[in-house]
Amino acid sequence: MPPRPETFSDGDGETCRAGGVLDPRLRASHRTPDASSDEVAGLNPQTQVRRPAATRTSALLARYGLATLLFAAGLGLTHLLQPIVTYPFLYPLLFAVMASAWFGGTGPGLFAVFLSLLAVSYWFIPPPDSFAMKLEDVPYFAAFAASGLLASWLSSDRRRIERKLKERSEEVERKNEALRTEFAERQRAEDERRTAQEELAHAARVTTMGELVASISHEVSQPLAAVVTNASASLRWLEAAPPNLREAREAVERIVRDGDRASEVLTRIRALLRKTPSRQERLSVNELIRDAGALTRVEMLRHGVSFRTELDADLPPVAGDPVQLQQVLLNLIVNGIEATDGSDGGPRELVVQSERRDPDGILVAVRDRGVGISPEAAGRLFDAFYTTKPGGLGMGLSVSRSIVEAHGGRLWAAPNAGGGSVFRFTLPVETPP
Amino acid sequence: MSPERPVVFVVEDDPSMRPALESLIRSVGLRVQAFGSAREFLEQPRTGAPSCLVLDVRLPGLSGLDLQRQLTAAGVPIPIIFITGHGDIPMTVQAMKAGALEFLTKPFRDQELLDAVRQAIEKDRAAREQRDELATLRRRHTSLTSREREVMALVVSGLLNKQIAAELGTSEITVKVHRRRVMQKMQAGSLADLVKMAVALGPETPDEPPGPAVGSREPAP
Repeated sequence: MPPRPETFSDGDGETCRAGGVLDPRLRASHRTPDASSDEVAGLNPQTQVRRPAATRTSALLARYGLATLLFAAGLGLTHLLQPIVTYPFLYPLLFAVMASAWFGGTGPGLFAVFLSLLAVSYWFIPPPDSFAMKLEDVPYFAAFAASGLLASWLSSDRRRIERKLKERSEEVERKNEALRTEFAERQRAEDERRTAQEELAHAARVTTMGELVASISHEVSQPLAAVVTNASASLRWLEAAPPNLREAREAVERIVRDGDRASEVLTRIRALLRKTPSRQERLSVNELIRDAGALTRVEMLRHGVSFRTELDADLPPVAGDPVQLQQVLLNLIVNGIEATDGSDGGPRELVVQSERRDPDGILVAVRDRGVGISPEAAGRLFDAFYTTKPGGLGMGLSVSRSIVEAHGGRLWAAPNAGGGSVFRFTLPVETPP
Repeated sequence: MSPERPVVFVVEDDPSMRPALESLIRSVGLRVQAFGSAREFLEQPRTGAPSCLVLDVRLPGLSGLDLQRQLTAAGVPIPIIFITGHGDIPMTVQAMKAGALEFLTKPFRDQELLDAVRQAIEKDRAAREQRDELATLRRRHTSLTSREREVMALVVSGLLNKQIAAELGTSEITVKVHRRRVMQKMQAGSLADLVKMAVALGPETPDEPPGPAVGSREPAP
């Protein structure tokens, strides 16, 4: 039962295989010990490089030489041990056969068996120094031949299996490495995508804020004007004869409150303009709506749009990024105001509603009584760079949608009953950990 | 608290600005009534005291300019001082054209506002006095008999008693009696007073328009 010679291909074998499974790009960074001996093989999975004939021959010679050497050593040892342990002690020769098969492969193994048989029949089976043997010794000789062949075969087969196993585990390792690389690359791509999205969201936010400059400056200047007026009033109360300390004190208390209010507005705006990596917080949707309403109040006054909220008072908190969700609301409100601008007649009203939407969400609706959505716009509303506004970036709604979706919600538009349009979005309720 | 004590109305929607304005105006001893919206202001009953209105231009719902227009249309002559966070020129022009007394941009100096308020109240007081006087005159004028009213119209148009008698077809004595009664009832000290009163009352003499009728007779002598 001779093993198939081709299964013996190893590091010194005839062919150098490069796995065709792997992406060449990945393999370039991780070369197997086999492939490292030959750059070309590593780079081109199709190539099977045949070594030059001379090299092959010398490798073959080396293996048979080794078998011969091992045999000679085994023979010498047997001779040496003969005074101590007498025939039929032939283990050194069997060991030489096993070692030849192990290191040299099937051919050298069989070669060692052949040499051993010759040596045994010549030297050890009586009569010594002759190939002749007695009939009673033939079974023993046959047994030795069989055990030699078996040893050779077992050894080479075991060697083959071990090599295969090693190859397999190396391949698995290689594939793992490739997976790791791929995973890292995906991770990097994901990071890049998120960064790009954050940049985009920021750009859209700045654009929205730009549209709200009048509103925002009003929100800051109003409390500041109140501070000045309160301070004047306080001085007058103090200068009165007798000074009215109660009134003066009340005015100063209002100054403190107004100063806080102005700085709160600034903090809020700074947060909206800053490029912040997204963070998760427990948020009250109603508070977000009220804040967005405050930031756009003057904008609505300017466009003669009245603002109304219908908020469900006991909504559970949501988990999310306050800046991004604020951005979504601002965007929808500013869009609503602009849509109202284009309509003629009808109530100029913007309504923001919040309600519990079972099983596990909050629904926010922004309704306007504006121009509504034309059929051709309806399909592309959330596309990037699609805009109906002159000078619009076309980023607002697409960014808003990706923000809402990143929070595990949905954003969609529909015609409003009684004219205009309604934009709705859902947010999942924060689940206790 | 006498009804004559001036009152300043403030219509301002901003929750910071409203109490500040109230306090500032109160600090100079004026009465203040503040409202968060134009509608609230319109819903409260009119006062007999001299008053003025400090009005924010931008208000939710009815805007300051809308309120001004409505007050004018309703014949409520209250002086208005506009205040605004960011006044643009067209808006200022519109407000001033519609009769606003002052247009202040926040933040303003307290003195500016208080001066404007004082001025507005003075103006309102004067206007009210004028309106009261006119009302008194009207009352007196309606107390005249129709004959006396005819005589008065002819007197103030400059005719002599004799000419009036001829015009009305009565005796000069009768005209003299009517004329004296007119002077008494209208509480006019002199002919000049009576003429002024007639001017103040305007051309609303019920019988016939005396102006042209008398005027045509003027160059006769």
